[in-house]
Amino acid sequence: MRHNADKLVHVSVMGRIASPSLPGLPAEPYRLDADGKPFLYPSHGSIVYNVTVGDSAYGWLADTIHPSVSIHSADTAANQGLNVLACVGNRAKVMTGAATGETGTVTGKSGRFSEHVIVHFTRAAREKMAIGDKVQIRAAGVGLELADHPTVKLKACSPELLAKLTDGTDDEGRLRVRVSATAPSHLLGAGSGLVSDGGSLHIQTVDREALVDAGLDRLRLGDVVAMQDYDSRYSHGYYRGAVGIGIVGQGDSPRPGYGPGLTLVMTSHDGGITPVQTPDANLASLLDLHA
Amino acid sequence: MRTNEDQLVELAIAGAISAPSFKRGPFLPDNDGLSVVRPGMFGYVYNVRVGDPAFGWQGDHVEPGASIDHEDGGVHHALHYLTCMGNRAVVTSGLATGAEGIVVGEHARILIDFDEEVHEQLCVGDTIQIRAKGRGLALLDHPNVELKKVSPGLLHRMGLETASDGKLQVPVAMELPVRVMASGAELNSEYVDQDITSGDRELMRESGIDRLRLGDVVVIHHADHRIGRGYRRGHVAIALCIHGDSVMTGHGPGILTLMAGTDDDIAWTIDPNANLARYLNIRETL
Repeated sequence: MRHNADKLVHVSVMGRIASPSLPGLPAEPYRLDADGKPFLYPSHGSIVYNVTVGDSAYGWLADTIHPSVSIHSADTAANQGLNVLACVGNRAKVMTGAATGETGTVTGKSGRFSEHVIVHFTRAAREKMAIGDKVQIRAAGVGLELADHPTVKLKACSPELLAKLTDGTDDEGRLRVRVSATAPSHLLGAGSGLVSDGGSLHIQTVDREALVDAGLDRLRLGDVVAMQDYDSRYSHGYYRGAVGIGIVGQGDSPRPGYGPGLTLVMTSHDGGITPVQTPDANLASLLDLHA
Repeated sequence: MRTNEDQLVELAIAGAISAPSFKRGPFLPDNDGLSVVRPGMFGYVYNVRVGDPAFGWQGDHVEPGASIDHEDGGVHHALHYLTCMGNRAVVTSGLATGAEGIVVGEHARILIDFDEEVHEQLCVGDTIQIRAKGRGLALLDHPNVELKKVSPGLLHRMGLETASDGKLQVPVAMELPVRVMASGAELNSEYVDQDITSGDRELMRESGIDRLRLGDVVVIHHADHRIGRGYRRGHVAIALCIHGDSVMTGHGPGILTLMAGTDDDIAWTIDPNANLARYLNIRETL
């Protein structure tokens, strides 16, 4: 696999562990599920003690829960830098507080309404952390290209992840990528039309039968998922023959249009990617992450 | 059609004609990543009117007529949540004071159509007041059909009928496949719109979606628009095309939800004249 990883610039980006946040007065904390029923669950942000990459993406009493730790910068431009430059698989390090020196791994990003970077740490490390702790990431991956696959665009994909995801080329020269499932375009919802260099594109889960039919009802956090007929070169949208590759970054949601979120790592508008169904195509095993 | 319109409250709400604005660096990435600069959103669009094609303009998200907004966040949301399609509007400041318009869309701002003779008098910043009426409107014989942002005046001109099987029969200009519905899936269905993703240009031609017009009433099958805008088999959304095509992936002409229900509640017939411009007597022909 010929690539330009030796030319990548490694740069620091930093965020602080984000606090959960809910709307203020008139003290109406509820959101509505697809049938209009109000719900009140934990949502994005914070230190999540008991949800980890490798766990199920479904079944939690939560709304798009981020596993492990979410970080954010209060400065909008700096947060954009953090959200775009951090790549899945990059190393993170706690720089302040009782957990100083603990290391972790970037596993995903969140979209329009929180824009966090999601970082895996061991449960033991999480116990020592505090909201507001600084987490610094050694960001490397933006600019990564495959010499023999010019139409495969990599985004938020670290060289380490690239090596684990790919499995050579097929007879027609397409890049083989290990996936645990494939999402049809009609089940891709929130995030469509929005940027693909950060943020998330969500699998829609309101129609549970359609979810089962597509084989998406058993996804785990960290699973590698192919997106059929979706072009994510510049933003996300339907395009016949295009294939994207995303990582399940956050969990299911009761909200319409939402469900497990995908962090985009690869896209090819002309079908230059062949998804290869592989057992255990999940970040936990690919990057050897442990709770 | 029996309705509860005698119970609706009619009230005034106002905004001002917005000024076209760009982010620092005015470029948009098109479907192939080329940077382009296009007008279309905000301000007053002189030469694109409801009933005109949604595709083919050298513009992006073209908003026909006057696009009005309010700088206060609360008023902005009230404009979006109380204004209904077909509501009457009147200019309350500037050279065009007293001129009457009609609400023909809601995008990032509220879109109001005016006769051509008013064009030259309208100015960015002019205040436009709307007589908002329609919130709470219901069809008494179709309790499972939810209406959104339909004024009573528009409702009675849409050619609605009750079919022999009891379903609400709605004339629509075209059916849109749910798989092309894109940007806006993250929003609730009371706020602004959802775009058709038009990046597969060949599909737009093959399917005839590229003949869509601003103001067309359309149907999307297997879309549940009651609370959000998501995929759900057996659900039906009736929607209105309110802005023009876009160069950006995941974007394209935008549709605003007018009605939400299921296959048990709503049926549709194809009628090329199912367009707001005809229903509201803005144009005699399309």
